[in-house]
Amino acid sequence: MKTASAGTVESMDCIVTASEADPGSGVTVQIAGASAARFGSAMRAAVLSVVSKMGITDVTLSVQDNGALDLVLQARTEAALERLKGGDVA
Amino acid sequence: MSINAVGRHLPDAIPGYGPVKPFQGAAARVPEGHRDGGRLRAVYGGKDKVLPDLKAAIAASGLQSGMTISFHHHLRNGDHVINAVVDACAEMGLRDLVLFPTALFGVHKKLIPHIKSGVIRRIMGSVNGPIGQLVSEGGMEDPVVLRSHGGRPRAVTSGDVHIDVAFVGAPTADRYGNISGVGSRSACGSLGYAHTDAMYADCVVAVTDNLQPYPISRISIPQHYVDFVVAVESIGDPAGIVSGSTQITRDPLRLLISRYASQLIEASPCFKNGISFQTGAGGIPLAVTAFLKDAMKRRNVKGSFGLGGITGYFVDLLREGYVERLLDVQSFDLEAVKSIAENPDHIEISADWYANPWNSGAAVNALDVVILGATELDRDFNANVNTEADGALLHGTGGHQDTAAGAGLTIIAQPLLRGRIPCVVDAVYSVTTPGEVVDALVTEFGVTLNPRRTDLVEACREAKTVPLVPMEELVDRAKKLTGPMDPVVTEERIVGVIEWRDGTVLDVVRQLTPRK
Amino acid sequence: MSLRRTMLYLPGNNPNMLLRGHLFRPDGLILDLEDAVAPSEKDAARILVRDVLCRGEFGGCEVTVRINGMDTELWREDVAAVVPAGATGLRVPKVENPRDIRLLDEYLGEVESQAGIAEGRTAIFCLLETALGIWRAYDIATASPRVAALIPGGEDLTADLRTNRSADGTELATIRSLLVVAARAAGVDALDTVYPRVADDEGLRREVAFIKQLGFDGKSVIHPNQIPIVHDIFTPTEAEVEKAKRIVAAARDAAARGLGAVQVDGRMVDKPVVRRAEFTLSRAGLSGEVM
Repeated sequence: MKTASAGTVESMDCIVTASEADPGSGVTVQIAGASAARFGSAMRAAVLSVVSKMGITDVTLSVQDNGALDLVLQARTEAALERLKGGDVA
Repeated sequence: MSINAVGRHLPDAIPGYGPVKPFQGAAARVPEGHRDGGRLRAVYGGKDKVLPDLKAAIAASGLQSGMTISFHHHLRNGDHVINAVVDACAEMGLRDLVLFPTALFGVHKKLIPHIKSGVIRRIMGSVNGPIGQLVSEGGMEDPVVLRSHGGRPRAVTSGDVHIDVAFVGAPTADRYGNISGVGSRSACGSLGYAHTDAMYADCVVAVTDNLQPYPISRISIPQHYVDFVVAVESIGDPAGIVSGSTQITRDPLRLLISRYASQLIEASPCFKNGISFQTGAGGIPLAVTAFLKDAMKRRNVKGSFGLGGITGYFVDLLREGYVERLLDVQSFDLEAVKSIAENPDHIEISADWYANPWNSGAAVNALDVVILGATELDRDFNANVNTEADGALLHGTGGHQDTAAGAGLTIIAQPLLRGRIPCVVDAVYSVTTPGEVVDALVTEFGVTLNPRRTDLVEACREAKTVPLVPMEELVDRAKKLTGPMDPVVTEERIVGVIEWRDGTVLDVVRQLTPRK
Repeated sequence: MSLRRTMLYLPGNNPNMLLRGHLFRPDGLILDLEDAVAPSEKDAARILVRDVLCRGEFGGCEVTVRINGMDTELWREDVAAVVPAGATGLRVPKVENPRDIRLLDEYLGEVESQAGIAEGRTAIFCLLETALGIWRAYDIATASPRVAALIPGGEDLTADLRTNRSADGTELATIRSLLVVAARAAGVDALDTVYPRVADDEGLRREVAFIKQLGFDGKSVIHPNQIPIVHDIFTPTEAEVEKAKRIVAAARDAAARGLGAVQVDGRMVDKPVVRRAEFTLSRAGLSGEVM
């Protein structure tokens, strides 16, 4: 299975790992790390908005967070998805 | 149910704690009656109080299951005493003990099996790390009671808490029970947090790894309070007891915040000859002290005293004449330990002297400026020090309440964001220190003044050096940056009671519901 | 005239610095897609910098991006991502040919018009990091009206000169002077290279005093802790400001009364002195009081 990730473990960053999913399996998001306890909902929504903007319907995303704000989370999600799409497999 | 003066709903009584006296205001409660005291005892004759080991001392002390034992935290994360005493109690079959430490550290996670097996029924004092997590998840029968460094001696002297046996870790002791915080490899300097326990406990046991002939010098706790002496191999690991010399941080964000805080102090009315301050050992407070020193030099201002936990940096201030005295309740590093042993202007004070609201006047009352931290602040400047963003009880109150109540200028200095977690919110998760005694928050965005302090607002506007950010704007900014927070999900059961320094209840902490 | 006493480099793949850089109140920011970003992270950094430009906050800072060199495949994508996102300036590395600046000017025009941005808004900051670049400094500075500043290189330049960077900057002294002359002749700013020893506050202080005396308008900085030091040296003292105010006021008074010669504090003041006084006030952030 193809996967790609983007981001770092530095403070206020996160690592987003995107994995191909079977057609029809939908979008799965897992969130772990620093802000998950109090910002899980907002983080999930932020990630999902990038997925839908890019027109992707089947993918598994896992976020290892170290305090990323939405815009960072979204930039990392986009970069991971672009890498997955482009075959730039990490 | 009742609502206290910071708007918290409180039950009338809490199982394992008893009746709740709601917080009425920082200086509202007036005590009645007389001081409590320890058991009277007489020792006719005898030249030696040394017993062969801890078990002998525990037996001699008359300690029974269900009783209260106390400890000081001057050995910090190097402490071997608490674990060893509780181990011995467990081996002797004692159960349901109430642990009454002045603070606990990570090293005390070894107590967890004793909590689970029922040797310890209850902790009255700060919990952190793994023990804090355990308590937060409901792993202890009775709620933890959180008291400030001043609230604790108040509870002891007023009789709210009665200590059956105080075990005093002693870097040096003589055979007749005189105790000193210096003079050995386990030296910790001041023994300020142990004084009150030694004076008020029914029985006092000195535990030392440096037993000396009678009498020693530089005595912190004198023989007439001490019943037994036990010599052990080691009371603590020196590396965990004191830190090496502390460097001023180079972290740009912390320096930025420290610079703003120092500019606030310089602009305030208390920046004049005779200024006194407490800044502790954290990265930001220490850097504030460094900037403040520059300002004092530039404007030729001489201070009077430095208070609280003392670092080598404060020792330098004393030596260089920026302050006249140090009042030391806790010596953080080697330099401080050395200085308190040698310099008569570096004075050891007890927690009672330092911060107790119910005596004839504590040292904090004379304090001009204190720099503190907090997990979060709300729109009313109420500060939370005890719980983390996820609702876990992970920090002790320390001197937060006492210094905030006493100081003329109470500054909380820290980044607006720790990762995504904001330090300003609509309402803090739990209240440790009421907003009525907090004057300013300093973040990387500037200085946020409590509007109550119109004098400071005016002084800062006049000085023009301090960027001012109103609290409303700061909260809005934080919300915009971080987005909406999910609520902390808890059970009804109360696992922690946060007392104000006068023994009234500010807030309670509830058991966390495990996350899926 | 906007102040450019300090322009702070922020690594383009570091969210913490990108989001917080403005808090240290430099006059400008340089979001760096070039040297601070590893080759394997260029794509992720470009997305991050684009989003930070779109949605981040920058206080009052001038916001620029250091794009990848025009000798790489990356620069066009960099420009296409960051200019519509709001960068008002591009710092271009290793410029040594005026032709490159004309090419960038042209491409910027396309990107601006596609994005609906006023044509010409995006300024160009030229990093001259080779001997050839320094030699052609004036031609580079005048290759496009977008050019806002010339900046000498540090490490690359000294390597190209077959020397290395010394503590007192002997090897760069002539180059810095030359660059100030070219910048003044072309009517653009002269901004100095970074001071790499971030823990050496005294060394920085000396170097900034030196380049200020040479005529530089400001300095690139690589660490926030350098900002207060540079500002301190570039900010006129109270006495200097007071004197400048008196000179400007006297000159204005003389002009209103149709007089040529002006006296301040018992000394004759001529035109260059007045201009210098106006400049002092603008550095003190008081240009409004002059105009």
